[in-house]
Amino acid sequence: MSREQYQVPTTGSGNTGGGAFSAPAPRDYAGESGGVMYYMCGDCAVRVPLEKGAPIRCQKCGARVLYKERTKRMVQFEAR
Amino acid sequence: MPHKPPTQEELERRKIVGIHGETITDVTSTDFPGHYPGEEHSWDIDAFRRGFSVEFHQNDPYEASFSLIGCDASIANAFRRIMIADIPTLAIETVFINNNTSVIQDEVLSHRLGLIPFKGGHEGLHNFLKWWRKPADESQINNSYYDFNTVSLRLEVKCEHNDAAAPNETDPTKLYKHAHVYARDIEFCPVGRQDRYFSGADAIAPVNSDILIAKLRPGQEISLSMHMHKGVGSDHAKFSPVATASYRLMPVIRIERPILGADAEKFARCFPRGVIALDKVTKEDAAQRGSGYEGHEGEVKAVVADPMRDTVSRECLRHPEFKDKVKLGRRRDHFIYLVESTGQWESDAIFLEAVAHLKKRAQDLEKQVVNMVR
Ligand SMILES: [Zn+2]
Repeated sequence: MSREQYQVPTTGSGNTGGGAFSAPAPRDYAGESGGVMYYMCGDCAVRVPLEKGAPIRCQKCGARVLYKERTKRMVQFEAR
Repeated sequence: MPHKPPTQEELERRKIVGIHGETITDVTSTDFPGHYPGEEHSWDIDAFRRGFSVEFHQNDPYEASFSLIGCDASIANAFRRIMIADIPTLAIETVFINNNTSVIQDEVLSHRLGLIPFKGGHEGLHNFLKWWRKPADESQINNSYYDFNTVSLRLEVKCEHNDAAAPNETDPTKLYKHAHVYARDIEFCPVGRQDRYFSGADAIAPVNSDILIAKLRPGQEISLSMHMHKGVGSDHAKFSPVATASYRLMPVIRIERPILGADAEKFARCFPRGVIALDKVTKEDAAQRGSGYEGHEGEVKAVVADPMRDTVSRECLRHPEFKDKVKLGRRRDHFIYLVESTGQWESDAIFLEAVAHLKKRAQDLEKQVVNMVR
């Protein structure tokens, strides 16, 4: 099953049983976009915002090893 | 030669499975046609009714113990298997993970979530909620979720440092906020008519609120939503309504010759507490010739008090002083059930549901057979 398959169910899909079903909406990450990417500092684990072209360096401790954050994309699993 | 009908004693003897030091004898039942010359033994509803009884020993919501007396092992085993594998319950089936930065992997986390038992209003669980079937056309899957076949849950936890913690604190649960994620952190999101069936005390919630799901450290986060569906234990054990549903045969202990004095005390210690009681040999006992009690008036003797509590460990058969004095066995037609509910059904209701299920299956089969021979 591909991860693209699931979309949040929409209401009013012509059901007969009444009370169409909708799952809670996924998290809104819009406030975090706008050219700034966030990374995790390898030393102090602080969240480091980096703009395009900025030196790869933790603003807090100066460490040069930064990690990517986990994907914001929803992943679907069977509870089995 | 005319056939002599069996005596009551003989009928009782036929029901006993023999348990000896190294062997088990008479394991199969013999009450079927053609086994005893001149005896009928074909199945008869009136004979069954006369011989059948149910006896409850314990009936708590989450644990029930009862006996079916006078029924065949095939029927008793059918009930047990139906209770485990065919009575439907609601369980987490799909997990939509938005974020999981904990050390526990998405797959393992999903599996753990699936195994958590949930409770809720009985009317809603058993009558309002219906089966969910995956649509044949997979693109239509998002139009298959309705309030009557899907229950939605959410789990949103984020671990942070606790500024109020003492400076020399070492306990992670005090040092951090939300270091442990428990089943009680799961949030029920009612949709449509679910409010009517699952509100207040009837809300969908974990049966045991302190099941540990994951451990977090500051900066880690779990954010996911879940769909629950109805299912049966034959599909996955998480849907089984029972923690255990088992039966054992009623133990039989027969003291053939008197066990007296210190031997009686040793004999009682061969069994779990309460199975063997110690009585005084009475004047009447001692007066009986050939009973073995002659001249022992006032001494202690071993008597069988409660064979149901016996585990049939056969310990008493290991000691030479009890040789030929005791016979162990089990009643082939006395089934002692123990049904332990996981919380979605009352324990006794699970058994009643199993009986109804077997009846329905039999009626379905009857229809098929009638169609077949038409
Ligand atoms: Zn740093």
